[in-house]
Amino acid sequence: MLVSEIDMITPSSLSECLTQLSKEGRKHRLIAGGTDAVVRMKEGKWRPEIWINIKNLKELRYIEESKDFIHIGPLATHTDITHSPLLQRKADVLVDAAGEVGATQMQKMGTIGGNIGTASPAGDTLPALYVLGALLELTSLKNKRIVPIQEFIIGPGRTVLKENEMITKILIKPQRQNEKGIFQKLGPRKAQSISIVNVAISLTMDQDRKCVEGKIAFGSVAPTIIRARKCESMLTLGPLNDELIQNIAKIAWKEVMPISDGRATAAYRRDMASALLERGLYRLIRRWENQ
Amino acid sequence: MSTKWVGKRVKRIDGPEKVTGELKYMTDYQFDDMVWGKVLRSEYPHAKINSIDIEEAKNLHGVICVLTHKDIPGFNGFGIVVPDQPVLCSDVVRCTGDAVALVAAETLEIAEQALSLIKVDYEPLEVVADAEYALTESAPKLHPDGNLHSHVKIKNGNIEQAFEEADIIVENTFYSPRQMHAFIETEGGWGIMDDEGFLTIRCPGQYAYRDRMQIARSLAYNAERIRVISSPIGGAFGGKDEITVQIYLALLALHTNGRPVKIHLSREESVIAGIKRHPFKVCMKTAAKKDGTLLANQVKAIGDTGAYASLGGAVIALAIEHSCGPYKIPNVDLEGFCVYTNNGISGAFRGFGVNQVCMGIETHMDMIAEKLGMDPIELRKKNVYHQGEVSSVGHIVKSSVGTYKTLEMAENCDLWKNREKYKSEVCEPWKKRGVSLATSFHGIGMGIGLPDYGAASIELLPDGKFLVGVGCEEIGGGNSTVYAQVAAEMLKCDISNIRIVQGDTKNTLDGGTVTASRSTYTGGRAVAAAAPKMTELLNQTAAEMLNLPAASVDLRPNHISADGQIIPYKSIYEHLYEKHQSTRVEGHFYLPKEKEEIKGSGGAPHHLYGYLTHVVMVEVDTLTGETDVLRVVSIPDAGKVINPQGLEGQAEGGAVMGIGYTLFEDVLIENGYHKTRNFTDYIIPTIRETPLIETFPVEEPEQSGPFGAKGIGEVVMIPIIAAIMSAIYDATGARICHLPATPERVFNALKDLKNQKVQSTR
Ligand SMILES: Cc1cc2nc3c(=O)[nH]c(=O)nc-3n(C[C@H](O)[C@H](O)[C@H](O)COP(=O)(O)OP(=O)(O)OC[C@H]3O[C@@H](n4cnc5c(N)ncnc54)[C@H](O)[C@@H]3O)c2cc1C
Repeated sequence: MLVSEIDMITPSSLSECLTQLSKEGRKHRLIAGGTDAVVRMKEGKWRPEIWINIKNLKELRYIEESKDFIHIGPLATHTDITHSPLLQRKADVLVDAAGEVGATQMQKMGTIGGNIGTASPAGDTLPALYVLGALLELTSLKNKRIVPIQEFIIGPGRTVLKENEMITKILIKPQRQNEKGIFQKLGPRKAQSISIVNVAISLTMDQDRKCVEGKIAFGSVAPTIIRARKCESMLTLGPLNDELIQNIAKIAWKEVMPISDGRATAAYRRDMASALLERGLYRLIRRWENQ
Repeated sequence: MSTKWVGKRVKRIDGPEKVTGELKYMTDYQFDDMVWGKVLRSEYPHAKINSIDIEEAKNLHGVICVLTHKDIPGFNGFGIVVPDQPVLCSDVVRCTGDAVALVAAETLEIAEQALSLIKVDYEPLEVVADAEYALTESAPKLHPDGNLHSHVKIKNGNIEQAFEEADIIVENTFYSPRQMHAFIETEGGWGIMDDEGFLTIRCPGQYAYRDRMQIARSLAYNAERIRVISSPIGGAFGGKDEITVQIYLALLALHTNGRPVKIHLSREESVIAGIKRHPFKVCMKTAAKKDGTLLANQVKAIGDTGAYASLGGAVIALAIEHSCGPYKIPNVDLEGFCVYTNNGISGAFRGFGVNQVCMGIETHMDMIAEKLGMDPIELRKKNVYHQGEVSSVGHIVKSSVGTYKTLEMAENCDLWKNREKYKSEVCEPWKKRGVSLATSFHGIGMGIGLPDYGAASIELLPDGKFLVGVGCEEIGGGNSTVYAQVAAEMLKCDISNIRIVQGDTKNTLDGGTVTASRSTYTGGRAVAAAAPKMTELLNQTAAEMLNLPAASVDLRPNHISADGQIIPYKSIYEHLYEKHQSTRVEGHFYLPKEKEEIKGSGGAPHHLYGYLTHVVMVEVDTLTGETDVLRVVSIPDAGKVINPQGLEGQAEGGAVMGIGYTLFEDVLIENGYHKTRNFTDYIIPTIRETPLIETFPVEEPEQSGPFGAKGIGEVVMIPIIAAIMSAIYDATGARICHLPATPERVFNALKDLKNQKVQSTR
């Protein structure tokens, strides 16, 4: 398929979009901000017959709160997320992560739906969504289903999304009063860089540096995002002092299964899983104490 | 001397059109009847070509022509020094950047499709992936004379004896990366042939006259019928010094029936086919006495020039000339090898070999200072050569030398004086800060063995303004503003009366390259040589118009005054025009050179050098190995500074480029194939990696230069490399001798350090 042969249609409503998606016998793909799509089209990897351009579907761009959940439209941009007072209060880890995506330009164009849709092991919002227990609403013309994010992604770039479906909502559990999160990223430089390792942490804290419950998710160290269950279970062993932090960090490398590539070796990635966790926990505790 | 323009913060004359976007990149133009050119690159890093079948490609609808080596009317080769690079390969390919065929087509997509239809039957050959291996007997020979392109050697004194007598010896091996110029506009341009067979090539380059010569040679075409025009935007940094696509454009233009043809390399193609900085391995051994006097330096440098020579020989020669730093070391044994491999092509790049050796000698200076418990500035001050003294390579340096002053300035700058305070201001316990400095120098001009001249023209225009023509291209460095300043100063007119034309074989004289830190000096001096002739023309004409003796006529600001009357330049133009007299003058000069070449050195010494000291502060995250450069002080000796704002631009850009070289950048090639494809994995600094950079020039005027100026375009990125390496050591105790100092390398060095400590306490 040549780029010049590819068509693009721009549905004006969600239902029109779903109708388009339901058409069979042709290759189509959604395009939102296009920050992944255009790059991959240029590389020859994504060459559908038709791009379905959803960037202007306003009804899918929102951030709201209901009784039990925060609802995020897939077209919310990374900038929408970092600027949202609601998320700043109740999903700080996601705000942190969205603020680390590329740089200003990418954050203004790129969407959370696109970041999930690409399903890159290095996608920066994904670990945050894992620790926030995100649920995805997948909609087709005739159907709607809710899938937890860890079941949605099945491998690098691979998801359970069907040809006729799209993500129409992201549901996350709001953080509680005593819950704080942080996102740490290591890239080859500070901006416009793909994560070598990243980690999202969210802790529910009690008095005296005591953690009651904690969630930790690593990115870029396995085919998909990894929840560090062993580390998580150690979080509650005692007050989170320097010694415990270091001990937890030390076992992080056991939870990951990185590969070597042009950006880093597997050995360094393992070391960095520990380093980022250590740095993240220190910084998180400081955040907690300074609030 | 009081001046009105020179030495002042004059705004860039090319500023407004660049910042508003009014000036287009050459490759951004489109024409209705244009056609698109594409180059077929080799599939293999090293292979024999059995046959090339272009039939199918030619028959694709929309293809205008497909060309191979058979279609080259003249010489099938190019290269600034030795034209050993085929324009289009016929029998062998030596790197994946090699060009095998050209296509012109109605659209870019058709051109790309046509490339995929060309069938080349290759027979893969053994790949020479390593420069040291290339020098062994068992490596296949990539060129008829073998894999050693050049070998340079400088030897003085008695090195063995010196090492025996020395109190202290340091010895290390340094590895440096294959840096990419990463100019914003990749290689590209336009070719068009008119009805009368006049060929115009519009292509960003660094020496239009030499490009024209290389084009003419391959086309077997009268050079006078070829016009080469450069572009003042897009960046070059040495990467457009060699032929990029000019010959391809010219060949295609012969076959497009007068339609303009455009080639514009994609970033991916530019990564593979474009020139890069030579990766070096440098083994260095340096000796000193207890009091810090340097005794001896031994250097063995191997540079990987890739598949073709380009300027590789000159790069190695310059590296060796500069391998002892701006010091006087009596006993030296310096040796450089420029080696062919199948790793792309290396050539000119800002610094030209000096970067790779500076990191060695300056690291050794700091190691010696530490071992002796001496202040690193004291040690350097003790060993620098002054004007009139003998350098390490053994010649008397007659031109101005500012090193000592730059070191004094460094000693007194806030960052150095208060370094302990700044170092203690870390906000997280695992972060460590270090402050260090380094100094270096860089030859200006071509050195011995190559002709080196400057030329400029000044023409009085109908509107009474002056058109100053200089061959040296504007490639973003700001030399056009320098030329306008020199012209305005000497012609006593407002700078708005000066128009500049550069880099156009039709409208400028051959004045050499814009490389080798030479264009301010050379072009400035050429303008200064032409200006008095214009003054004389103006005065004489005015005198003639008024029937007065020439002595009673006077050049005043913006007009001629004679006998109380004011004569505008416009009327002088009209007078000359009516009399069919030329309104144009020329200035020519020859760059001062040393008389005697150091035997075996490949062109050393230079007559002129620019000097510079950098002070930097870094912060290392010891948990991850990330290094952040927080502050840079750049202290150049560029002679008289013609435009402080322009100097700051160079100092800041150079510092950031040096940061990229030291911390991030490397084009990775494995077994001849590029692992680095584009800017996704080639990491250059962004604004967030850009620290506060202060520039404090010391002006050590150079008598021969225009208003005392020298050159600075390259050394601005050099000492910072060693300074950052030393600052990492100062912060953490880990020495990184293999650049770039990526987080992974720094982290591993810290880990090794920890393990050593653990072992030694056991
Ligand atoms: C220079 C640069 C830097 C970058 N840096 C980072 C970084 O630091 N961290 C990072 O994580 N990413 C980074 N990216 C990648 C990219 O910006 C993000 O993944 C972004 O969130 C993608 O959003 P988008 O709207 O542009 O997606 P698009 O490119 O429009 O789409 C991406 C994919 O998602 C699918 N999709 C989009 N919307 C939906 C939907 N509603 N339902 C189902 N599928 C959908 C599309 O079909 C497509 O397959 C970078 C990209 C570039 C070009």
